[in-house]
Amino acid sequence: MNRRRILAGIFSVGLLGLVALFLPSLHKTADPVLPPTQPSVQPPTETSTARAESEPPIIPAPVAEAKAVPFPIPQSTAGLSDVDPHKAFGSKNAPVTMEVFSDFQCPACKTLFTTTNRRLMDDYVSVGKVYLVHRDFPLAMHAHSRVAARYARAAAQIGKVEAVEQALYQNQEKWEQSGDVDGTVAAVLSLAEMVKVRALVKGGTLDPLIDKDFALGQTYRVNQTPTTVFHCKGQTYPYSGVMTYDTLKTFLDQLLSQR
Amino acid sequence: MMQSSPINLRRATLWIARLSLGGIFIYAGYAKLFLPNFIPWPLFALRLSLSTNLSNFAVQVESYKLLSPGGVSLVAHTLPFAELILGLLLLTGWQLRIWASLITLIMLGFLGVVSRAYLLHMNINCGCFATPEPLTGMTVVRDSALTAFAVVMTILAFTEARAPHPWSDPEKV
Repeated sequence: MNRRRILAGIFSVGLLGLVALFLPSLHKTADPVLPPTQPSVQPPTETSTARAESEPPIIPAPVAEAKAVPFPIPQSTAGLSDVDPHKAFGSKNAPVTMEVFSDFQCPACKTLFTTTNRRLMDDYVSVGKVYLVHRDFPLAMHAHSRVAARYARAAAQIGKVEAVEQALYQNQEKWEQSGDVDGTVAAVLSLAEMVKVRALVKGGTLDPLIDKDFALGQTYRVNQTPTTVFHCKGQTYPYSGVMTYDTLKTFLDQLLSQR
Repeated sequence: MMQSSPINLRRATLWIARLSLGGIFIYAGYAKLFLPNFIPWPLFALRLSLSTNLSNFAVQVESYKLLSPGGVSLVAHTLPFAELILGLLLLTGWQLRIWASLITLIMLGFLGVVSRAYLLHMNINCGCFATPEPLTGMTVVRDSALTAFAVVMTILAFTEARAPHPWSDPEKV
């Protein structure tokens, strides 16, 4: 092999490495997604064929780098801020806390929920190993996700969160097209329960709770869903994206076995 | 007749193409493996980072609706590494004709897939760099330009091999 070529190759790699280290990221992270209660640009609908170059769909940039404890996060599991007890499962004193930021209209969140939630609840939450907290993070690009979050919150307050979350995720393709979140939820609740849920949704008390979760997600630099934030022994591990149950199990077992 | 300067258009173009395409491929592989999750320590956290990043990429590959689940898994777990290795090989310039041809084929494949998704009005992420990037006309234009660049690089690599510059391989002159 030509010695000059080898040197040229090493020089090129080194130069690129320096460029990568010292220049700003090639992908500029988008501005944080505004809380949905603030005016924001509405993305084009999925049925729109007009690909207006000036109005690209708003898809939040991902977390550029996940670091351990970059922000002042409470050190103890029991000290998590603003936990809605209706959307938290398991023992508060569990050694591992999982905060799952999700959007009911997000397909990846549906995958995470349907493949891991049940087994996680059975194997870790119910036996006191994991304290699971569901956080709402409705993305601006999803037209009905905030409405779905309201219904799920309302159902949580009457003790029916699991059934409603399951119904929302399993019928996601239907209600995201039709916008009929109410009908989806009504299919799994009784008439009396549905009256209470509708009253809570219309009451306007649920939006501040959703906004709090959203603001907390922004402190973790959450900008895609699902994002799972693990807390264990004072360390925080945020992960964006889907993970299989086997991967999650391996990670949790290793977290729990840490001394 | 010996050329008096090592610089000529063909060599310069080859150098630029190698550096830029090699760099882009290295970044593409790096982004798919290490973004958006990267917790280097402890080791099991790094393993979860890689696993979730590859899962994210698999979701993006699956959204093109082209491959079976097995195919999606194969592409998701091999393409990032292939991009890294090919990028490095391109930078070194070793056996340039082979790797340039391979990269051109890969780019043609990307262009075909992206163009198909665009023509079908699929509202999906490009998945080129593993970060959420909507697939628009500009994505197709960008991929077309890069593919053209790769084709030019391959042609020049073969031309250079047939008639090398006297300064690049003096013993053959």
